[in-house]
Amino acid sequence: MTARSFVRLALVIFLALMVQQTVMLALRVGGAHPDLLWLLPITAALIDGPETGAIVGFWSGLAFDLVLPTPFGLSALVGCLLGFATGTLTAAVDPRAAWLKPVAALTGSVAADMLFAVLGAILGQQQMVQVDFLSIFLVVAVSSVVLVLPVSRLMRWALAGETHRRSLVPAQADSRLW
Amino acid sequence: MPRSRRSRRTLTVVVLVVLSLSLISLDLNGRTHSLTSGMKSVANDVYAPLRQGVLDVINPIGNFFAGAFHYGSVQSENERLQRTIGELQAQQAERTFEQRQLRELLALARLPFLQSLPTVTAQTIDEYSSNFTATITLNKGRADGVDVGYPVVGAGGLVGQVIQSFHHTCVVRLVTDGQSKVGVTFGNNQLTGIVDGQGPGNAMTADLVAPHTPVHKGEVMFTSGLDAASYPPGIPVASVVSFHTAAGASQESIEVHPKADLSQLAYVDVVQWVPPT
Repeated sequence: MTARSFVRLALVIFLALMVQQTVMLALRVGGAHPDLLWLLPITAALIDGPETGAIVGFWSGLAFDLVLPTPFGLSALVGCLLGFATGTLTAAVDPRAAWLKPVAALTGSVAADMLFAVLGAILGQQQMVQVDFLSIFLVVAVSSVVLVLPVSRLMRWALAGETHRRSLVPAQADSRLW
Repeated sequence: MPRSRRSRRTLTVVVLVVLSLSLISLDLNGRTHSLTSGMKSVANDVYAPLRQGVLDVINPIGNFFAGAFHYGSVQSENERLQRTIGELQAQQAERTFEQRQLRELLALARLPFLQSLPTVTAQTIDEYSSNFTATITLNKGRADGVDVGYPVVGAGGLVGQVIQSFHHTCVVRLVTDGQSKVGVTFGNNQLTGIVDGQGPGNAMTADLVAPHTPVHKGEVMFTSGLDAASYPPGIPVASVVSFHTAAGASQESIEVHPKADLSQLAYVDVVQWVPPT
């Protein structure tokens, strides 16, 4: 990943964090609010493949972990797995397909929320499975479908210059920025 | 796909997963928790003013539209609040004498009286920052005398307990959170139980109450303040909504509702109280 992409990516993560903590928290429906975090690894994976998805998921999750009351590192773990899974599962799909982004956003966000809650409970945070999953899944799924296009545009800007749907890391690179 | 690229990709993911798991174990380990807590503290100190700056810009816009669209309801809400203030002022005057008597009785019993404990008034800057926890963030932290474990009261009763304290902010776990457990007393202080949070949006329960214990709907449960309790005695926690004892059950099933109005938490008081050792 080039230094320019890295700086842009940091800006996008920071912007997403700010929007999440100011605008999204105010948009509560049935006790649940939209979750921008999962859209970052999903869109990165759709644009540049599973490795980039995992790297973006890890760093964006880590940034969100700094302000969330849940165990530190949990969002990073789920984000990393989500980015990798999205990139791997959509590798054979034509990236120009109109349905790809909404479907990936919907299924990816719901799966990530489910994994987040289950892993949290396994790590001793039982309250994370004592929530109204239906409301959370509905709000997160619908908002992810709506927000995936603007987030995707931002991610495309951040990753501009990187090879489309291929690994971010140049074959001859000795060092990686993660 | 070349084998080398595939294995490099796998290695990347494995390294990131191991790194995440290491961070989680550092956070959950009591001895190394201060490392991750310190990182969160520094990040919060940097992030909180930036976030406040953004809110200062967008809040007036949101308030303008909310006020324009809900002008009628805002006006009636104002009138209702004025009426409530009048009622509360009258009640306060009536209770002065009762409070003096209670203070004297509690002093005799060597129990702390909530109103004699120092408090820090704080403003709520964040509610339910995660969909999976019932927490609020306050604009007071260690620099203001707020520490982990302090009880938080407001809006008519116990709100929760401070679980993370940073330099200028802190995170409070609400009584409705699934991890919250509060020792309570009720029925002329003769009966005890535990009020358990069941997660945001779910009804709270009072557990460890013997079968067929006489309770009544609306009965208020107060913090017990028993030995090693996390809260001082006498704070209203919850009121009984329903109760029954199933055949053969080892305890009575009691559903309770928090006394504090958790939808009105703009300002709360953090009680600077630590359990006696």
